Amino acid sequence: MNSEVHIQTLANGLTVIVEEMPHVESAAYDLLIPGGIIYDNPETVGASLILAELTSRGAGNLDARQLMEQFDDLGVRHGESAGHDRYYYHGGLIADTLAESLKLVALMVKSPSFPADEIDPIRSVFLQDIASIGDNPSRRAMMELSQRYYPSPYNRPSTGTVEGLTAVNQQLLKSLWSQAFRPQGAILSIAGNVSASAVVSQAEELFSDWQGIAPAAPDFGLVTPATVHHIEHESSQLQIVLAYPSAKFGDEDYYVAKVVAGILSGGMFGRLFIEVREKRGLVYSVYARHSATNLYGTMTVYAGTTPERAQETLDVTLHELNNIIGTVTEEELLRAKANIKAAVIMGDESSSSRASSSAADYWLIRRVRSLEEIQQGIDRVTAADIDQFVKRYPPQHYSLLTLGSRSLAEPGLRSLSGVK
Amino acid sequence: MAQSKVVTHTLANGLMVICEESPATQSVGLGFFVKTGARDETLKESGVSHFLEHMLFKGTQKRTALDITFQMGNIGAQSNAFTSEENTVYYTTVLPEYRAAAQDILSDMMRPSLNQSDFDTEKNVILEEIALYQDKPQFYLFENATHHFFDGHAVGNSVLGSADSIKALTRDEMQAYFDRRYAPNNIVFTCAGKIVAEDVIAQVEELCGSWKSQETPRQYASFTAKERGKIFKKPNLQQSHVLFFSEGPSAQDDDRYAMGLLSMMLGDSTGSRMYYELIQNGLAEGAGCDTDERDQVGNFYAYAVTSPENLDQVAEVTKSIIATPRKFSEADLARAKTKSISRMVASGELPMGRLMALGTEWQYLQKIHNLKTAIAEIKAVTVKDIERALQRFTLSPLSEYRMVSE
Repeated sequence: MNSEVHIQTLANGLTVIVEEMPHVESAAYDLLIPGGIIYDNPETVGASLILAELTSRGAGNLDARQLMEQFDDLGVRHGESAGHDRYYYHGGLIADTLAESLKLVALMVKSPSFPADEIDPIRSVFLQDIASIGDNPSRRAMMELSQRYYPSPYNRPSTGTVEGLTAVNQQLLKSLWSQAFRPQGAILSIAGNVSASAVVSQAEELFSDWQGIAPAAPDFGLVTPATVHHIEHESSQLQIVLAYPSAKFGDEDYYVAKVVAGILSGGMFGRLFIEVREKRGLVYSVYARHSATNLYGTMTVYAGTTPERAQETLDVTLHELNNIIGTVTEEELLRAKANIKAAVIMGDESSSSRASSSAADYWLIRRVRSLEEIQQGIDRVTAADIDQFVKRYPPQHYSLLTLGSRSLAEPGLRSLSGVK
Repeated sequence: MAQSKVVTHTLANGLMVICEESPATQSVGLGFFVKTGARDETLKESGVSHFLEHMLFKGTQKRTALDITFQMGNIGAQSNAFTSEENTVYYTTVLPEYRAAAQDILSDMMRPSLNQSDFDTEKNVILEEIALYQDKPQFYLFENATHHFFDGHAVGNSVLGSADSIKALTRDEMQAYFDRRYAPNNIVFTCAGKIVAEDVIAQVEELCGSWKSQETPRQYASFTAKERGKIFKKPNLQQSHVLFFSEGPSAQDDDRYAMGLLSMMLGDSTGSRMYYELIQNGLAEGAGCDTDERDQVGNFYAYAVTSPENLDQVAEVTKSIIATPRKFSEADLARAKTKSISRMVASGELPMGRLMALGTEWQYLQKIHNLKTAIAEIKAVTVKDIERALQRFTLSPLSEYRMVSE
């Protein structure tokens, strides 16, 4: 842990990050390339999903099966996918197979063969994924809330849309690839029992002929706070989800947001868990999460409960969200901090998690935070910071969505504090 | 590569202690593995193992529920627990400097006070958990099909129990179950990571030495699979599910590695026959198979989720793959071994991965799990071994279950 991270940006704009972990046998790679759902044409939302998968179905002179078998021969646990703002290639492996594995990754990224007969099968699986959202109430509730809360195109469903997926064809995928799969801004992060100099020279060998700049990300507009929706859905539990603005990644109060989320929802000591579940037995699952990119920060809150307990669940949850100012004790603060710091260390022990957290940091702030920096950021947070933070990002600005067999009345909390 | 060292110790009361010192790791995993679960319940107690697991977080003679929660929180311990048909496991990961504090809390939790008012409140949480899983079609299918397939054998008992069995359960019944099953001779304590085994063991003696041992028998009824099957229905399902069961190797069976590798070739999430014939061609959204190795009994399963109009075809393809298990090459077997070893190495690098491997191996085999030995056993499997295993586990008769929209 905390060994030095080597960072080098190649002439073509691809940044290579290497962390040597001599005490393990494994290694992992993460390759991030700008692109994804928010970059898709409005008529073909989901094209990037099909593209990422299609690159794994044939590249160079290898067909889908040969490519898959070569990965399996090396024992690589790998994945190729598209998210909202990035294409994502990752793999976990035994360190001595890294060089061969990276050759396969370079083939997929630089020389996909776009086999036409693979497109319909890929599309079919993604369309089925969209259908399956209907069978997963908590996932559906979160997606429905995101679609209403975030501005376009950031509100697009991570599954793509039925219309968008249906409209995709081979020609479109080829042109999407030639625009999007470019090294400028891309990140290749490696961690494990490897040598940094060897990895960098191999990356140069494999990727230096890769050229170009990906399109810029679309502008991020304003979120839509303070809306309330109910969706009828036949299910045993009612899903309650809400979101409100919070600190962005890199903001001064980013670590304050993490601590507030810890006070609300850390471990089993978070206030929501104690008040909603432990004391009242209203739910099995309740939590608050802070998520952040360099464009937006969001506090998301979830509770799932049977309809007859749902009103009390919502009332208690909202009360806790609004009961932070002036109530955080020194002991509670220390506990939340200890928990976050331990989670950071323990969550980053494997080569896979090291590779992906370095990549994620560099993606957002063009550098990799050290463990000390994160610890200091958390340690500096005071109770006064928390009060200020809650005033800056008042929970009263939430957007609320319920999904299930009954809708709920909102308590008068929004007006109570006079913010809205 | 830094070396790790295993030290074991048995207390006079029968509690087994397994410590693995791995100086190169950054954290410590600690866990109590109790050899008890749904299969050890009477019909009237259905769901008590899992409910009790929740109650262990609710307080002891020395600590209230909030004491446990806050003290674990103060040291940044990440704690959790799970209950299966035959094991209940309590575990936590913590930074090395807090190992002793975490061990103190976790050991105390193992002797719960089971207060009536906590019991009443937690009952509602359990009922919510049952409702939650009612809304998860895949879980619903697996739980109900397992129960049906095992046809009265206790290993098919429901882990969650039903809303009715939970509502009817009393605190005293839970206490009686606890007294019957949580004796130290039925428990293994495992600790792995950056530790000094001697210190851990001394603390186990001090904290757990007074626990009273007693007989904790488990019933081992014989099981012979018959061809069974059932269609489960729920309103408004968008996707349909199919699940096949047949007999498989137990956790003690010498053919478990051979059958595990065969399952990987048939139904791993990538590069398997089910992948090529169901996922890569877009027929199904998800598909896979595996062996479920349990205490002296086991099963093989194959599962797929697809759109309603593809369900019959997906079921047919899956059945035809299961019916021709010998259709693989030496190269396929070599790939399955490499994949399997690669996964074992990755999980073996984390204290939590080692904790689970050590605790589980002891519960089933009374052996100390050794990564190198396990890798060697996988490497040693030949085509002939799989052919021989297939004569014992013929993957028939096959029971077919479906979950469809009503």
